[in-house]
Parts: sequence; C-alpha cells; structure tokens
Amino acid sequence: MKFTEFIETIKLAGESMRGNKMRSFLAALGVVIGISFVILTGWIISGLDNALEETINLIGQDMIYIDKWDWTGGKNWKLYEARKDITLKQAEEFCSRMKGAELAVPLVRKWSVTIKAGNDSYDGISALGTRYSYSQTPAASIQEGRFFSIFEDQINTNVIVLGSKVAETLFPEGNVLEKIIIIRGQKFEVIGTVKKQGTMLMDFVDNQVFMPVGAFMDVFGGQMLRSAEVGIKVGNMDNIDEIREEARGIMREIRNLQYYQDDDFSLNETKAFEETVASLRAYVWGIGIGLTMLSFIVGIIGIMNIMFVSVAERTREIGIRKAIGAKKASILMQFIVESAALCFFGAVISFVLCSTVIFLAATFLPKVWEATSFLKPVMPFQFLILGSVVSIIVGILAGLIPAMRAAKLDPVDSLRYE
Amino acid sequence: MDSEIIIEIEHIAKIYEMGVEQVFAIRDISLTLRRNEYIAIMGPSGSGKSTLMNIIGCLDTPTFGKYHFNKMAVEEMTDDELAQIRNKEIGFVFQTFNLLPRATALKNVELPLVYGGYSSSAREEIAIKTLEHVGLADRMMHKPNELSGGQRQRVAIARALVTNPSIILADEPTGNLDTKTGEEIMKLFNDLWKQGNTIIIVTHEEDIAKHAHRIIRLRDGLVERDEINTSPIEW
Ligand SMILES: Nc1ncnc2c1ncn2[C@@H]1O[C@H](COP(=O)(O)OP(=O)(O)O)[C@@H](O)[C@H]1O
Ligand SMILES: [Mg+2]
Repeated sequence: MKFTEFIETIKLAGESMRGNKMRSFLAALGVVIGISFVILTGWIISGLDNALEETINLIGQDMIYIDKWDWTGGKNWKLYEARKDITLKQAEEFCSRMKGAELAVPLVRKWSVTIKAGNDSYDGISALGTRYSYSQTPAASIQEGRFFSIFEDQINTNVIVLGSKVAETLFPEGNVLEKIIIIRGQKFEVIGTVKKQGTMLMDFVDNQVFMPVGAFMDVFGGQMLRSAEVGIKVGNMDNIDEIREEARGIMREIRNLQYYQDDDFSLNETKAFEETVASLRAYVWGIGIGLTMLSFIVGIIGIMNIMFVSVAERTREIGIRKAIGAKKASILMQFIVESAALCFFGAVISFVLCSTVIFLAATFLPKVWEATSFLKPVMPFQFLILGSVVSIIVGILAGLIPAMRAAKLDPVDSLRYE
Repeated sequence: MDSEIIIEIEHIAKIYEMGVEQVFAIRDISLTLRRNEYIAIMGPSGSGKSTLMNIIGCLDTPTFGKYHFNKMAVEEMTDDELAQIRNKEIGFVFQTFNLLPRATALKNVELPLVYGGYSSSAREEIAIKTLEHVGLADRMMHKPNELSGGQRQRVAIARALVTNPSIILADEPTGNLDTKTGEEIMKLFNDLWKQGNTIIIVTHEEDIAKHAHRIIRLRDGLVERDEINTSPIEW
C-alpha cells in the first residue's frame, strides 16, 4: 500500500467518525475510561514519588535518627512503646561519644504546644529542643533570619526559630524577626524562620519551632517528655554502614544492653520512607492496572462491536471499493485505521478530561483533605505518549477481526447487498 | 477488423450452490473480444448476463473453463492480482451507479487512482479532466444525492474511465434512467467507443442494444446468438 493511499485511509476514518459522532463517542467510552485510569494512576504515583523525594531531601539522605520509635513500624507499635525512653542525658552522652559522623545532635520534642503572640494564640505546635549545630541539617534550612548560635545555645537564651506555618499563622503580615512570643509564660524572641518543606509523609514539619535544648528544658522540664532522639549526619555516604554500626554499638553501651538482648532503639533512615512509598505505590498500581485492564476489555468489546456494525453497514461500499481495485490489504487497513482512530479519539477525550480532573483535584482537594497535598497540578507528559500508543494498539486489536471480515467479503455478493 | 484480442473465454461455466441445489448461472460459454469492439449482451432476466459480466470484469471467477485477459490466465491469479486488473484494466458501470454517497463527484472519480497509488495532486488533475470529458465540469463538488440520475451515471462512467482501462463494462447502465437520459448516456458510450475504447453493455432493451456493433444473446447460461449489427445507430 502506498503512502498516499494510507493518508486517504486516515482521512476516511475521520470522515466516518464525523458522520457518526454520538456512536463514535459511545464506542470510545471504554477507551476513554481506560486511558483515564492509566493517566490518573500515573499522576498519583508521580505525586507520591515527588512527595517521597521531597521527604528524603527534607530529612536528608545522609541522616540517621536514633529514636525509641521505628518510623515504619506501624504494626509493632506495642513493642516500641514498651521500650524505655531515651533520656536527654543518654542522647547527649551519645553525641559526645559519636566520632565518625559529621554531626550528632540531641533532639527533644514536645507535641501540642500552645504559642501566644499578642492576643493571638496558636496550638498544636511541636516544639523541638536541639543544639546550634542542627542548623547544618536540611530540616533546619533557614528562610529568613538565622538559626541560634553556639553562644545562645550554651547560655540557654530564650530564642526561637519558627516553622513556616507557625510563622504564617502568628504573623500573617510578615516581619517575624525580633517579635516576642510566649510559651508557658516564658518570652522567646523570634530570630528566624525555616523554609516551607512539609510533605505528605511529614506534614508536621512546618508546624515546628526550634529552640536551644537548655531553654527547652527550662520551659518543659517538669513535664512528661517524649523520648529524646539523636540526629546523626553521616557526611560521606560511603561510610554510612560503618557509622550505623558505630552508632548502634555506642547506643547499646549507653543503654546497658547485653549481647543477647535486642536493640531497644531504632536507627531510622530515609529508606524507611522509601519502603512506605513503595508499598503505597504498589497499592495504587494494583488498583490502577486492575481498573485499566477491566475498562480496556470493555473498551475493546465495545469498539469491536461497533466495527462489526460499521462493516455490515458498509458492505456495499466495500463491494464498490473492491470492484474498482481495492486489495484485501486496503480494506483491512481502512477498518483497522478507523478503529485505531476511534480509540485515539477516545484517548484525546481522556487527555482533556484528565487535565481538568488533575487541575481541579490538585487545586481544591488538598484544601479539604490535607493528605492529598502531594498531588501536583501537572499532567505527566510521558502518560500522554503512553496513552496515545496504548489507545492505538487497543484500536488495532479491536478492529482486527471486523477488518478481516471486511477484507474477506466477496465483491459480487457485497455489491448485491441491500 | 483483426485488432488485438483482449478477452478469450473458453468453455466457462459458473455454478452457484444453493443448499443442495446447483444453479447453473453459466453453462458453457466461449467468446473472443478484440480491442475497440462495441458489444451488447442481451437476454432475458436470469440468463446469466450479469454473471458473465462479473467474470469478464475479474470480479468473479468461473467454476470451470479458461479465461485469458490480455493473454494472462485469470484463473491462476491471486485475489490481489485480480484487484490490480480491475483497478488498471477494467472500468465498471452499474445500473444503480454504485457511487460512494458521502464523497463528492470528484472524490468518487479519484477513488480508483487512490488504489492505483497516484499522488493526490495527480489524482485530482486526472479526475478533473475525466469529469470534464463526460460533461460534468460544473458538478465536481456535488455529492451523488445532489445530482440527477443521468449526472450520477456520468460520474460513474468518469470513474470507470479514469484509469484509462482496456475495457469498459456496463451492466444495464440505462436501467434506472428515463429514455431521454438513457439516450444521452448511450451517446456518451458511442463517443468513448469512437475515441478507441472497448465497450460491453448488458441490456435487455433492443433500442439500447442497437447502438452496439455486435450483439450477443444469452439464454439459460448459453450463447443463443452472436451476430454483427450491420447498421448500428450512430450520432
Ligand atoms: N450469488 C448467487 N447465488 C445463487 N444464484 C445466483 C447468484 N448470482 C446469480 N445467480 C443465479 O444465476 C442466474 C443468472 O443470474 P444473473 O447472471 O444475475 O442473470 P441476469 O443478469 O441475466 O439477470 C440466475 O438464475 C440467478 O438466480
Ligand atoms: Mg443482471
């Protein structure tokens, strides 16, 4: 078949679809739904991947956090709860003994803190006491102002660095620096803010405030505190395995563990999030692929059916074409191209549909449901290509048998057909 | 009048199986046709005229017998080779016109050239010339339902002519037309014959057949008479 004939075949498919708009649309509906599932699944997955990457960047790929809690272990929470708390003293001892790492800082945390600024108050904040050197970790990337200094740290100055959401809420008009806030009756001077960096997996980070650990103990010391943590910055990633083992050894000594006892603390790394996301990903793919397959099967049956009808309706036309010299391959191609065009048309509809859904969902859904804030209003480009290719393949598959029937028609019989 | 032989049919038969019954559409026909002949095939309904036309036009193949078209053995050809012969060597004109309803006159006439692999500009040029030739220059962009019966048949004739075939086969081309329009179409065939075309027309009307130079009468799938028309109507 010559190229110019192929061009005519494509034009013909377009005309045929225009001639039967409603029917074409209904026939393509299964494909529209199928391609939409592919695109939306891909979109959610790419959102998850983004969230994962952001989280990893936020925590830092080269960070190890020693914690009583294991960040991935939802199921075993009873086991972790039974562990003795890590005291601030243990954490500080660890930090002074940990030599191989670039940095090791203790972290103490208090949830559900209330902050007052003037007449406003804001609660549900997580307060973090740490050392000046925590500023070297990605979690403390400064937006405005500065982190507290070694000097302020050592003399327990009441200075505070605010997470982005805390700053926005308390000081919507800006000018955060040098403002005074009050926590449990004590005054703190705001010296900086941290970049907005919350992600789906760690949405609380923008709701944190940072202060010198000494100042933290002054304010919250008498209270029930959460188990302390240690943040370790590995520095050179080549050494992460040795540093992990060094950290484990030091911590076991500090916690007085015998050789036969299991660790009563966890070494948390960004890998934990990768695992969480991997299982989420598999889950989404599973649903996506299942629904996609289902709608493609429905779609193929629908298109095939319409193509059989189309072949029957155009029996006489096929006879005419054969009488004036159309070969089997030409007729075959005509109907396959028509079927493929029908499916591609379905894909285009679904592109438009999905763009709308993606835009609306990413814009409005996170406002009512925070957990969906990982969704981005971007149509994943590679899925446009994938969707187009898949739709054309589906069209070819669905059109094959009807087209073969058309190609095989006897010209004399077809010409007699009424 | 010993011009070159185009069609040579030897003892062909065509049998249709109708359940257990066998219908002999053609029992035993032998024919020789030469270039630039103008032939009418006559006979009562069911005598096998259309079947013979379809076989001559390579649209159908005989159950028995030999058929040579331009010295090529048709019974040995594949479907695609037959399609190619139909495309390049044969021009069909039907009683019911058989135009594509959604395509313009021009597009209908271009169609054989599409399957002949012509470029779109060449197609258009040739098709326009052919439509002018049959007197439809001003109706090229009309669809069949916007044309009269006579005009439709002219489009169909243009489509048959457009590939410059060896032979034009017309199965009752005036059957759906009134007498006056039919006469006009017959005049067109006469012109085409004068220009060197080979023409076979199936008809059951004596008035139509009188235009031809040779009249073949069929009955029950056999040739009843094959005679020269010594006084064809001419314009
Ligand atoms: N496809 C077919 N199946 C069965 N019988 C057929 C078929 N085509 C033609 N016939 C039979 O063959 C005979 C000749 O038909 P046809 O060539 O159409 O005659 P004509 O054109 O002279 O009227 C008729 O009896 C017709 O019924
Ligand atoms: Mg007939």
